Amino acid sequence: MGIVNMAHGDIYMAGAVLSFYVVGMFGNFWLSLIFVPAIVILVSAPVERFVLRPYEGHHSSTMIATVGISFIIQQIALGTYGGIPKKITNPWPVSFNFLGVDYPGYRLLVACISVLILAGLWLFLYKTSYGILVRASMQDREMAAAMGIDVNKVLITTFVMGSVLAAVGGVLAAPINQVFYLMGDNVILLSFIVVIIGGLGSLKGTLIAALSLCSLEGVMASVLSPTKARAAIFVIMIMILIRRPQGLFRD
Amino acid sequence: MNSDDSLLKTVSVTMRFGGLTALDDVTYSVKKGEVRGIIGPNGAGKTTLFNVITGELKPTSGKIFLRGEEITHLTPHIICQKGLSRTFQLTFIFPEMTVYDSIWVGVNSRARRPWNPIILAHHTADLSQKTQEICQLVGLEEKMNELASNLSFGDQKILEIAMALSTEPSLLLLDEPTQGVSPKETDNILKVIEKLSKNMTVILIEHSMDVVLRLCHTITVLNEGRVAAEGSPDQISKNEEVQRVYLGEIS
Amino acid sequence: MEFEKVGEKRTTLHYFAITFLLLLVVMGILLPKGARSLVTHMMIFSILAMGYDVCFGLTNQCSLGHSVFFGAGAYGAIFSILHLKVGILPSIFFSMGAGLLLSLVVGLISVRLSEAYFVIITAIFFAVFHLLAMDMTWLTGGDDGLSIKLPSISLGPETISLYNPLVNYYFVLIFLAVSYLILNRIARSPIGKIFVSIRENEKRVQFLGYNVFRYKLIAFIISGLFSALSGGLYALTLRYGSADFFSFHWSIMPVVWCLIGGLGTLAGSWIGVVIMSLFQYYVSAWWTYYLILFGIIILLILRISRKGILGYVISRRLT
Repeated sequence: MGIVNMAHGDIYMAGAVLSFYVVGMFGNFWLSLIFVPAIVILVSAPVERFVLRPYEGHHSSTMIATVGISFIIQQIALGTYGGIPKKITNPWPVSFNFLGVDYPGYRLLVACISVLILAGLWLFLYKTSYGILVRASMQDREMAAAMGIDVNKVLITTFVMGSVLAAVGGVLAAPINQVFYLMGDNVILLSFIVVIIGGLGSLKGTLIAALSLCSLEGVMASVLSPTKARAAIFVIMIMILIRRPQGLFRD
Repeated sequence: MNSDDSLLKTVSVTMRFGGLTALDDVTYSVKKGEVRGIIGPNGAGKTTLFNVITGELKPTSGKIFLRGEEITHLTPHIICQKGLSRTFQLTFIFPEMTVYDSIWVGVNSRARRPWNPIILAHHTADLSQKTQEICQLVGLEEKMNELASNLSFGDQKILEIAMALSTEPSLLLLDEPTQGVSPKETDNILKVIEKLSKNMTVILIEHSMDVVLRLCHTITVLNEGRVAAEGSPDQISKNEEVQRVYLGEIS
Repeated sequence: MEFEKVGEKRTTLHYFAITFLLLLVVMGILLPKGARSLVTHMMIFSILAMGYDVCFGLTNQCSLGHSVFFGAGAYGAIFSILHLKVGILPSIFFSMGAGLLLSLVVGLISVRLSEAYFVIITAIFFAVFHLLAMDMTWLTGGDDGLSIKLPSISLGPETISLYNPLVNYYFVLIFLAVSYLILNRIARSPIGKIFVSIRENEKRVQFLGYNVFRYKLIAFIISGLFSALSGGLYALTLRYGSADFFSFHWSIMPVVWCLIGGLGTLAGSWIGVVIMSLFQYYVSAWWTYYLILFGIIILLILRISRKGILGYVISRRLT
């Protein structure tokens, strides 16, 4: 949609924090997969409509506005959840032994769920009629509007969908890493890189980029320090953008 | 070096965008001092032709020559420095700059040291004179201190032309200079163009046959990316195929 | 030859700036210690703000990586004093040199990218430098940082030292005044007009015969240079520098300062500095979560006008 959402990482964090509360209130982790998306939809739709919509076309204004939103979300989390990282107990503490290596059951489950979500997203974008509208608006907004597509609805839908995905990502990540009010900062730049390298608008590219970058980072982290490994990924990104300012894959 | 006396020449220029052929083997030339009109129905490729000539697009195949020198792959700013200037169909001006400043910027690009960071822009005597001359030529001298965004639409179109003139072009490309303008202001614009055409070569894209018949020495008709006809105003207005192409479009 | 009303607005702002500078000269002696220290810091931030305004305000390049130049300027001064044992003034040159070099490199890579990518890649540069600065504690001191002992400046038979808060204050003030005069002159010169026209309609400027990339790069480098100067002055004033000088705070604050003061006005950003510094100083004492207000402020300013509060007020008066 052409928006760089600097608050995206914090929506991810919000998802994790909310799931912490759901677990606290109901004792069941999986319920958060219902509650969190619901809350995110209720909050992100008006935010898009009233806070972000006025800056349409002004990319830098939108980006800075999302920085503002990022501060707000972070501070609310700090104020309510606190500044101490906390853990959510592993909801599926089993372990599979395959070829002599132990694979934690929950992580495998997360991988499966992610694949399902991606598949669902792909089906939505490529197989449903509404998905076609979304992709059309993405490619040429004026043309889409001229053809009678309600671009505004599409804008809200994509923003909300993006936010829900981020939050669900946070929910799933919560038992794996600790839940911390700054955990969004950790993922946001990386997610930009993944999307740019994968090619804006290309699901396949994003998936390949995400898998390769994370594996690469993991390997490097075993040799260098984790911080240096992260910095190295960033440097690789810069070098790619030097050679190919338009990203690696195209839609 | 240059066997013919053409100022601008395109040779077999083809422009393809994916499956769409916007320009198909367009070969034509314009002599110095000519006023050439280009007409054709919507989508015929007129603006695309300008985009290719001015370096904004690289043609899929074919060459373009300015005074015998090939300019096909040069960047727009270099082509402009060689004396080719254009206006845009939608007014493409500097909203928050005054009329004077907008024209001054173009005049400054011809100065010996346009990047001068030390003198005051308003104290550049010779540039100031040239700027005022252009303002007078197009009839905007009374509105010199107006912000460009405050001008009437017709005046903005005139400002467009003035800005194109500011770089001392030997070849001026005007893209539908009277489009969307009231009849009274159209007359104004046409008077300006008539004045200009005495000293420089002009290529004029127009939708209105009247304008083209009045101003041009030669007319080229484009249809679906191909040159459909070329000749004097007399010949073109009697041309049957042109009439067919324009059926329903002649104003 | 009478010139535009718009130029008039800028001249008014110019008189405001000169008056303010003169006021600062007087205030140096009159202010109590704590306030004087705060004002010294605000003057340093004003240089950073003006530097950023050249980038964002004049050529519409929304960089999120200026903390790289700020931090580099700080460490340029610190390293040159610690390791090369130079004096105060030479250390400033090292600051600016670091800024020049880095902004050239970062600029060559980033400036040619389109708007959104530009923002992201400058943010990535910020992240790389911040991460490395935090990690390489042997070099930078990490977030604990490095302290330095300042050499004194000799002016003929006298020696003065920046340890004297009055000397520090006027030292910074001189740099602020000179920076303002230089940047103001640049903005009103031919190249400044070119910058503004790039902001107004980048593509059109190409068709007027200008190599737009080159001019955007020059603006970016000027911006980095002054940001680094600011960093150097900050390190000298605090006698300290840490990896925190590369943090996001120093990338985002200039954006807010310029937005409040009005993009492209240069001196307008000083208003942004004053408001936000006072805001941080007082509100943070009273409410730990003042950053929420900060976020709300950002949203509000953006809503009112991209020209900033100052620009909004002025445009109301002109129409």
